[in-house]
Amino acid sequence: MYIFKNALLSIKRNKGRNILIGIIILVIACASSIALAIHNTATNLIKSYEDSITKEATITFNRKGMMENFDLKDKETMEEAKEKFDEIDAITIENVKEYGNSDYLEDYYYTYQINLNGNNIEKVSSDFSFGEKNDRPGKEDMPDEASDFTVVGYDSVNSMTDFINGNYQMTQITEDAWDKIFTGNYVFINSELAELNDISLNDEIILESNEGDTYSFIVLGIYESNEDDAEQMDMFSKSSNTILTSADYLVETFSDQEDIHANVNPTFILKSFDDTLKFQDELYEKGLNENYVISTNEDTALESVNSISNVSSFATTFLIITLIIGAVVLFVINMINIRERKYEIGVLRTIGLSKLKLTMQFVFELFVVSFLAILIGTGIGASCSKPISNQLLASEIASSQEEQNKIDNNMMGGPHDMKENNNRPNTRGIVNIQAYDSINAVVGFKELGELIGIGVILVFVSSLASLISIERFSPLTILKERS
Amino acid sequence: MVKDDTILQVKDVSYRYNDAQENEYVLKNVNFNFDLGKIYAIKGKSGSGKTTLLSLITGLEPCNMGEILYNKQNIKEMNLDRYRNSEIGIVFQSYNLIPFLNTLENITLSMDINGKNIKNKKEKALELMESVGLNKNMADRKILKLSGGEQQRVAIARSLSYNPKVIIADEPTGNLDKETENDILEIFKRLAHEENKCVIIVTHSPNVANQVDVVYELTKPKK
Repeated sequence: MYIFKNALLSIKRNKGRNILIGIIILVIACASSIALAIHNTATNLIKSYEDSITKEATITFNRKGMMENFDLKDKETMEEAKEKFDEIDAITIENVKEYGNSDYLEDYYYTYQINLNGNNIEKVSSDFSFGEKNDRPGKEDMPDEASDFTVVGYDSVNSMTDFINGNYQMTQITEDAWDKIFTGNYVFINSELAELNDISLNDEIILESNEGDTYSFIVLGIYESNEDDAEQMDMFSKSSNTILTSADYLVETFSDQEDIHANVNPTFILKSFDDTLKFQDELYEKGLNENYVISTNEDTALESVNSISNVSSFATTFLIITLIIGAVVLFVINMINIRERKYEIGVLRTIGLSKLKLTMQFVFELFVVSFLAILIGTGIGASCSKPISNQLLASEIASSQEEQNKIDNNMMGGPHDMKENNNRPNTRGIVNIQAYDSINAVVGFKELGELIGIGVILVFVSSLASLISIERFSPLTILKERS
Repeated sequence: MVKDDTILQVKDVSYRYNDAQENEYVLKNVNFNFDLGKIYAIKGKSGSGKTTLLSLITGLEPCNMGEILYNKQNIKEMNLDRYRNSEIGIVFQSYNLIPFLNTLENITLSMDINGKNIKNKKEKALELMESVGLNKNMADRKILKLSGGEQQRVAIARSLSYNPKVIIADEPTGNLDKETENDILEIFKRLAHEENKCVIIVTHSPNVANQVDVVYELTKPKK
C-alpha cells in the first residue's frame, strides 16, 4: 500500500516532470484515438460495404498463362499449343453443379448460351456480328461463320443479372411470363428486334441451326437495353440479337446436338473474397483444368471504397509511427527521470525495499500519469476525430479527382467531353462511384479499450527503463556518489 | 568460541575488487564477533576497508570470500532486503534521508518497508523521535530544514523504527560537532546497554573509539 502512497506523493512532488510526461502521453493518446477511430470506423465501413456487395466469381480461361509456355514465333510449337488448347474441355452443366456444391459459396447460377440463325425473323444489324468468336476451349467444332442470334438460357431469376443490374428493362410482358419463362420454349427478346420484325407478345419466332433444324419459341416479354452506352458504337444495342430463355429448356433441347455448340457461363457467389484461392484450389481438386482461373469482381467492387481504404491505411501507419516515437520518447524521459531519482532509489534499496516493489512504485507512478493523460487525450481525440477523418477523406477524394481530371484532360480535353463520348475506356467517376464521402469516426468503447491497452503497453515499455536502471544501480555506489 | 549472545560474526572474510590484482586485497581474513548489548567501533586508516566491511555486513556488497553470519546463519542464504529492513538498522555519515519527506514520514517509511504489521506507526515514530532527542514539533518539518545533528537523529530513529537487533553506523558523527557527537554516542550507548542491541560504529574519531566497549582495528592488508 505504501508503494502506491509513495507513488502518489512522488507524482505530486515531481509536478513538472509528470506534466511533461503527461503532455507527451496526451498527444500520443489524442493522435492514437483519432487514428484508431478512423481506422476502426473505416474498416467497419469497408466491411459492411463488402458484406453488402455480391461477391461474384467466374471461371476464366488463362490464355496468357498458357501461351507463356509456347514460342509464338515457332510454327511447330504453335501447333502443339493449338493441340493443347483443343484438348482442354469446356465447362459443362454437370461441372458447374459439382463446383457449386462448395462451403465457400453462398450460391451459384449459370447461363447456357447457344447460337442460332433466324428462320422467320431477321437479325437487327447485317453489318455486325455478335456471335462469339472461337476464343474458348472446347469450341474447336464451332463453325467459322457467325450465327444470327445468341440465345441465352438462365437457370434462375438470380442469374438474370442484366435485369437485376438495370442493363435490361422489361417494356412489355405477358401476365404469366415469369411463371412460364423457365418452363419451356419461351423467350424474352430485345425491343429493337421486336420492332424490326414486328413481333408482339405471344408471337412465335422460329430459329434454326446451321444444319437447318428449326426450333420454335413463344415471345413472353420484350425488353429494352440500357447497357454499355459508353461503349456502344452502333445505332443498335449490343444485345439487340440476344434472345433470353430458360437454361433447362436449352439443355434439354440442344445438349445432344453435335452441330450446336453450347457455352456454359457459371457465376459463383462467394461468402468472402478471402476464400477465392481456396475455392479455386477446390475446383482444381474437383478436376477443373489448371489453365482456368477464378476471377472475382473484388477490384471493381472495392474501387468504391478506395478512398476510405487509403484513409484507413494512412491512419494505421500514422498510429504505428506515433506509438513507436511515443514509446521511444517516453523511454528516454523515464530513463532521465530514473537518473534524477538515483539517490532516492539508493536510499530505498539500502533500507530494504525490494527491487520488485521499487519497480512497481515507478510503474504505478507512470501508470497514474498515463491513465489521466489517456483519458484527457482520448476526450480531445474523440472531439477531433470526426472532422479530421472527414477532412482526410475529402483530401483523398479531391486528390483522386485531381488525378482523374488529369487523365481526362490528357485523353479528351475534359471530363465533360469524356462523359459524352462513348467510345473509349471508361475512366470516369472515381469520385462519383465512391461508396462513402464521409467517415463518422467516433471513439467508442472499443477504441477506448484499445487505447487503454496501448497505454498499458506504452507504460510497460517505458517502464523497462526503470527496471533496467533499478537492476543495474548499486545502492552503495549511488550513496557513495551522493556523499 | 561463539557465545550465545553473539549476533553477528565475520568469519575469514576477504575482499578484492573485481579489477584488482590477484594479491591486492581490501580486506584479508578478517574475523570479528559482535555481541548483543555491546557497542563496537571499527577503526582504521583511510583505505583500510572499514566501509567495505560495513557493506559486506549489511549485505549491500556480496561476500564471496569468507562468511558473514547473522544469528549463526550465513546472510548469503537470507533474503537481503528482508535482512536490511528487519534485522539490522543502518545509519550513514551523510544521513541518507529522503529529502521530500518530512521527519515523521522518513521514520514511518522504514516501518512501511519492513512490512510487519506495526500498529500506531505515527505514535511510535513520535516516541522514537523523543528517544533520540528530537522535539515532537519537528515531525512535520522537511528534512532539509533540519540541522546535521537533527538529521542524524532522524536517521537513527529511522533505523530503530522496526526494532532491529543490530545497528550499523558508518561514521555517524563525521559531519557533526563534538557536542552533538557526544549526544549521538549517548544514544548508541543507551541502545546497546539498556535495550540490548548490538551497535557497530565505523569511525575515525578517537573520541568515539574511547567511549565504546570493544574496538576492532582494520589495517590495510600487505600485498
